[in-house]
Amino acid sequence: MSRSLEGRAIVITGAARGIGRECAVRFAREGADLALFDIGEDLVGVGYPLGAREQLAHTAELCEADGAAVVTAAVDVRDPTGVPAAVGAALERFGAIDGLVNNAGIAAPAGVAVHEMSEADWALMLDVDLSGAWRMIKAVAPGMVERRSGSIVNVSSTAGLVGYRHFSGYVAAKHGLIGLTKAAALDYAPHRVRVNALCPGSVRDDPLVEGRMLVEIARSLKLPDEEYEQVFLRDQPMNALVEPGDVASAALWLTGDGSCRVTGTVLTVDAGFTSR
Amino acid sequence: MATTTAPTDPACQDVPPAASLARVAAFRRPLPAEGRACHALIARLPGPPPAPLAAGRLDGVLRSWLGPTWARLWETRVPAPYDAPASRERMRREALRPVHDERSPLRAVLLRYSDGSADLVLVALRSRVPRAVLDEIVDVASGGAPPVAPSVPPVEPGTPWWSRLDRKLGDPGRAGTVDVRPLDLPRLHPGLERVLVGALALAQSRYSGEGTARLGLIDTDGHRYEPAVVEMNPIDEEEGTTRFLARVGAALDAARGGASGSASSSGEPFPELGVVFSSGPADRVHLPFLAPPFPLTVQVAQRHDGPPEACCWVGEGAVSATFRACVERLAHRFAKAPGAPALATIPLMDAGETARVLRLGGSAGPPSRTGGTRIDRRFEEMARRRPDVVAVVDDGGTLTYRRLDERADAVAAGLRALGLPPAGRVGVCLERDASLIIAMLGVLKAGHAYVPMDPHHPRERLGYVTDDAGLPVVIAGSGSLPAIPGVRAFSLGDLEDLGENGGAGAGGGSAGPDDRSADDPAYVIYTSGSTGRPKGVVVPHRNVGALLDATAEDFALGTGDVWTLFHSSAFDFSVWEIWGCLLTGGRLVVVPYWTARDADAFRSLLAEQRITILNQTPSAFSHLVRADRRARDDLSVRLLVFGGEPLDARLLAPWFARYSPARCRVVNMFGITETTVHVTAHPVTPADAVAGSRSVGRALPGWTISVRDLRGRVLPPGAAGEIHVGGAGVADGYLGRPGLTAERFVPDGVTGERLYRSGDRGRLLPDGRLEHLGRLDDQVKIRGHRVELGEIRSALAADPRVVAAVVTVRRAPADDPAGTRVDGYVVLAETCDPRHVLADVRRVLPDYMVPATLTAIPEIPLTANGKPDLARLPPPAARPVPAPTGRMDGPDGGAEGPNGGIGPGGPAAEILGIWSRCLGVAVTGDDNFFELGGNSLLVLQAITAMREKGLPEISVRDFYANSTAHRLISLVEARRRGEEAEAIP
Repeated sequence: MSRSLEGRAIVITGAARGIGRECAVRFAREGADLALFDIGEDLVGVGYPLGAREQLAHTAELCEADGAAVVTAAVDVRDPTGVPAAVGAALERFGAIDGLVNNAGIAAPAGVAVHEMSEADWALMLDVDLSGAWRMIKAVAPGMVERRSGSIVNVSSTAGLVGYRHFSGYVAAKHGLIGLTKAAALDYAPHRVRVNALCPGSVRDDPLVEGRMLVEIARSLKLPDEEYEQVFLRDQPMNALVEPGDVASAALWLTGDGSCRVTGTVLTVDAGFTSR
Repeated sequence: MATTTAPTDPACQDVPPAASLARVAAFRRPLPAEGRACHALIARLPGPPPAPLAAGRLDGVLRSWLGPTWARLWETRVPAPYDAPASRERMRREALRPVHDERSPLRAVLLRYSDGSADLVLVALRSRVPRAVLDEIVDVASGGAPPVAPSVPPVEPGTPWWSRLDRKLGDPGRAGTVDVRPLDLPRLHPGLERVLVGALALAQSRYSGEGTARLGLIDTDGHRYEPAVVEMNPIDEEEGTTRFLARVGAALDAARGGASGSASSSGEPFPELGVVFSSGPADRVHLPFLAPPFPLTVQVAQRHDGPPEACCWVGEGAVSATFRACVERLAHRFAKAPGAPALATIPLMDAGETARVLRLGGSAGPPSRTGGTRIDRRFEEMARRRPDVVAVVDDGGTLTYRRLDERADAVAAGLRALGLPPAGRVGVCLERDASLIIAMLGVLKAGHAYVPMDPHHPRERLGYVTDDAGLPVVIAGSGSLPAIPGVRAFSLGDLEDLGENGGAGAGGGSAGPDDRSADDPAYVIYTSGSTGRPKGVVVPHRNVGALLDATAEDFALGTGDVWTLFHSSAFDFSVWEIWGCLLTGGRLVVVPYWTARDADAFRSLLAEQRITILNQTPSAFSHLVRADRRARDDLSVRLLVFGGEPLDARLLAPWFARYSPARCRVVNMFGITETTVHVTAHPVTPADAVAGSRSVGRALPGWTISVRDLRGRVLPPGAAGEIHVGGAGVADGYLGRPGLTAERFVPDGVTGERLYRSGDRGRLLPDGRLEHLGRLDDQVKIRGHRVELGEIRSALAADPRVVAAVVTVRRAPADDPAGTRVDGYVVLAETCDPRHVLADVRRVLPDYMVPATLTAIPEIPLTANGKPDLARLPPPAARPVPAPTGRMDGPDGGAEGPNGGIGPGGPAAEILGIWSRCLGVAVTGDDNFFELGGNSLLVLQAITAMREKGLPEISVRDFYANSTAHRLISLVEARRRGEEAEAIP
C-alpha cells in the first residue's frame, strides 16, 4: 500500500493514446483515480486522425482493470466552455483534483517555412498546443489553490528548448508552454501548487498505446514511412528513441510527492538529444 | 465454549451484516477535514442492479427532488468480486470522498463488482441532504416507488463547530492521519450506550489522571449533529459498577435533554473524545461524518435487524490502539459484572499487559541487591592501577591518584582519631577545589557518609543542615561555618595533620579488618522541602556503583577522559561529575567558583584543559553556547550530558552546527536526587533540535520507570501520570523523616520492588521512552536547582513583618532559561519597604531561591475554594517599569528614567538601560543588581550586553564585587579612561 498516487485524482488530456494513455495506465497502477480527456474527433487543418472516443474508452478500460475509478470526457481544449464543464464533472466525481497532465497537442500543420504558414494554421497550432494548456490550468488551479495542494505537468517537447526546421508553429507553441510553466509556477508557488514542464524528445510510436506522433512529424518532413525511425535514431546520442514509458515515469515523478519541492523546472527526457 | 455474556436477543445473533461498519472501517489514512460536513450511506445491492438504476430512473428521481444539476449517477466498474480487498478499498475510498457545497451537494456512485453485485455509495452534505433523503434514494434504487418530495426539508448549516477541533490522541507528527478499526463491544441491547460511555469515561478519567470525564455525544437519529456534552465530574472509583452506570445513564439523559449545553456554544474546551450513535437496517451503513468529529470518535451503529456494530476513529499509532483496547476491556467488564465491586478494582489492563508495560519501562523483576562496591574501594582500586596519573586539577595544581589516595587516607585517619561513632555523617563545607575531593574521599574511607554543604549558601541554611543531619564534625574552611554548640569544625589541613601524626588506629584506608559495606550511606544531599525545610536524601555506595555500571560502557567512560567539576557539591549533578570521573580513571578539572559564573572564562577552560566530558544544565549551557560561538578554536568535548532541568532541544541548534553528533555525543538525562542523579538517557540528535522533542529517553540499565495514577496503578503508554522510579538508584530515604520516606518510597504492588514516587508528571511512549511533562506539585526548576515554592513561602512568612505570603513562577520564553524567576507577594504587618524583607530572606535562602521581585499587597486574593488565586495577583513589580518612550526599542532604548543623579549619556545611561532590560524594572544608580532580582545568569546577560555596546570588558567577579549601579558605572568609566590612556601613549 505504498503506491505513490494512492487516492489521488488526476486529469490527463490527450489520454486516448500515446503518452497520454501510457501516463493514465501508469498512474492507475500507482493508485490514482483518473479523469481522462481527449478531443474524440478530427480537426480540420490537422492532417492526421486525432484521438478517437473508442481509443479514449479503451484507455479507461485499461485503467479500470488496474482498479482505478475513471471518468472520461470528449473535450476540445480550445473550447472555453467545454473545458470548465469537463473539469467540473471531474470535480463532482472525485471531490478534488490533485494533478493535471497537460498532454493534449498536435504536431501538424507543419512542414513549411515560417512565412509559408497560413494565419489559420498558425492560430490553430498555438490554440491547441499553448492556449489549451492555459485553459486547463485556468479551470483546475482554483481548486488546487484552495486546498493548497496540486501538481501540474505540462508536456512540452525538445521543440520547447531548441528549434526544428519547418516546425515554427509547434516550436513557438512548445517554447511558449515552457514560459507558461515558469510563470504559473511563480503564481502558484505560494499556494503549494507546483507547475513543471516535461520535454520528451523523439518518442517511438509504440503500437501498444497507438502512438503516431513521430510518423506524423516524419510525414510533415516528407521522410519515407519505412525508414523514419532510422532517421530519427541517427540524431540520438543514446542510439535509442524515447519510449512512452520513459515519459510517463517522469510525469509520475513530477505529479507525485517525490518532487514536492520541484516547481518551474523543465525536465528533459530526450536520450541526450539536446545535450549536443 | 459458551461464555456467560450479557443478555442478547437471540434473533440478533449470527446474522451476517451485509454491509457492515467493519467493512467500511479498518483503514488508516489522512482524511480531508471537509469530510466533517459530509455524511455517507452505503447500500449493498446483492444481485444485478435493479431496474431503476439500469434505466436511469434514479437520475430522474434525483432531478425531481434536488434540482437538475444533481441528476448524475456515476457508475464505476470494479474488476474484482465484492469481497475482494480491492473492492472494499474502492468502496471506502468512495464513501470517504467529500462533496463540496459550491458544486453538487450529493454524489451517487454505483460500484459494480465483477461478481454482479453492486454497492450504491451516496455522499452528501448533511446540511443540504439529510439522512432520510439518502435512505429514500436507496429505496428507489432498490425498486421502491419514488416519493413526491424529500421527506425532510433540508436544514441550513450553522457555524461549523468542528473548526474548534485541534488536538489528537496519538503521535502529533501524524496528526490528520486517522486510523479506523472495528471496536469489539459486548452484544448488549439495550444498555450498550451506558456501558460504552461508561467505559470511555472511566478510561478517559484514568488516562488524564484528573478523575473526571467529558465526552461529546452525537445522536444522529435525532438529526442533531451538533455534539452535546456528557459530564462526569467527579468519577468516584469507590462507587460500584451499577451505581456508576446509572450515573452514566443520567448524564446521558441530561446531555440529550440539553441540560449540559452543546459543545460548540459553551466557552469550555471541545471534548477530546466522543460517541456518535446511529441506527438503521443492516443492509446499509451510515457514516454520519467522513472525518472524525472528535479527536477520538467511537461510532456505534445500532441495527434494527442485527447486532450493534462499532468502530473507533483515532489518531494513528500504538497509543490510540492501547486506548481502544482499554475501552473494549472496560466495556466487556461492565457488561459481564453489573453490580460488582467498586470501579477502583477494575484494571485498565490485564496482568499480562501490565507486565508488558513494566518491561517497556526497563523492569525485569526486582534488581539483585548482592554484590556492589563502595566508592572508596573502587577508587582505591583505580589508584592502585594508575598511581601516577593526574586525578584532580585545580587552580593550585594537580594531584595524582596516588597522592589523592594518600591525602584522603590521612583525612580518614584524622577522622578516626576523633573517635567518631562508626558509620556516621561528616559535613564537608569547602570551596570547590581539590580539598573538597580529598575531604569527601577521606570521609568515605573513614566509613562515614559525607554531607556536602555549599559555603556560598547562607549561614542559616548551613546551620540548619548541620543540625538536621546531626553532624558532630564539619570539615570547613575558616569562617565559612557559623559556630554551633556541639559541632566541631576542622580544616582539611588540621585533619590531615591529625591523621599523619595521629593516634591509635590511624593508618592507610585499606588497613585493618573491613566491615565497610556497599550498603552504607555514601552521602546525604539536602534538597528543597515543600514544608519549608530542606530534607536530606540518603544515598548508599551501591547506587553510585550501579550508576557507573549503567553508563560507563555505553558512554565509553575511561582513562582518556577529562571531566569538569562545575556544579556545587550540594547539587547531586556533582556526584556524577566527581565519581563518574574518578572511578573510571579520568582527570577531574575543578572549575573555580568565579569561572563557573563566566561563560567566556569557562569556555576558555574547556579549551585549555581539553575537556572531553561536559555536564551542564540547559540554563548554564545557553550561555556557554553563545560564548562558544564567539570562539574560533573547537572544543574537544566528546560527551555532553544535560541534566537538572527540562531541555528544550532547540537550544542545541548552534551547537550541532559546529559539533557533529558523530564527534560529540549529546545526551539528555532525567534524574532526581532520590534516585541517584540519573534515571533515563536520551541521545539528542539534530532532528530533536529541530522537532523540540520532550523525550528524556529510556531507563538506564538497572533503573526502571513506570507511569502510575494516584492509586499507584500502572498506566498504559500514552497516559499521563506520576513517574515512578525503581531499581538500582533508589535512595535509602530521607534522613530522620520516616513518615515522608514511607510516603515517597513505596513498595510496588505488582513486582514488590521499592519505588520512588517522583512527583513528576510523565508519559511513557510506546517504544519505552519517557516524556517529561513537568511537576505534579509546585516544585520548580530554577537554573537546574530543585526549588519548592513552599520553602520560599515559608521563608517569607517567617519574617515577623510579614502577615501572609504567596509566591508564583514567571516562566521564561523557551530560548531564555535565565528568565525563569520567582515573584513573591507579601501582606505586611507594618509599613516597611518590601526590599528590606527581601534582604533578610536573602540571608536564609540560597540565591537561586530568592524571589526576583517582592510586591506588597493589601491581602492575598482567594479562590472560591479558599486557595490563593494567583490569577488575580497584580503584576509583579518592585517599582514601575520605565514608561515607554519613542526610543524604547532603539539601540539605546530603556535608559531613560530616574537615574540617581547620574548624568545622561555615556556608559552610565547604557549600563542603566542594560540593567533595566535584564531586570524588567526601572533602575537608578543606587540600586543593587541582586536586590532587583538579578541572578548569576542575568549577570552574564548584562555582561554580554555591555560587551556588545562596546563598553570595557568587565569580569563576572568584578560585577559581583560592584553590584550597585553607580559602583559598576564608576568601574567602567575608570576602565575606559584607562583604555584611552593606553591609546594615547
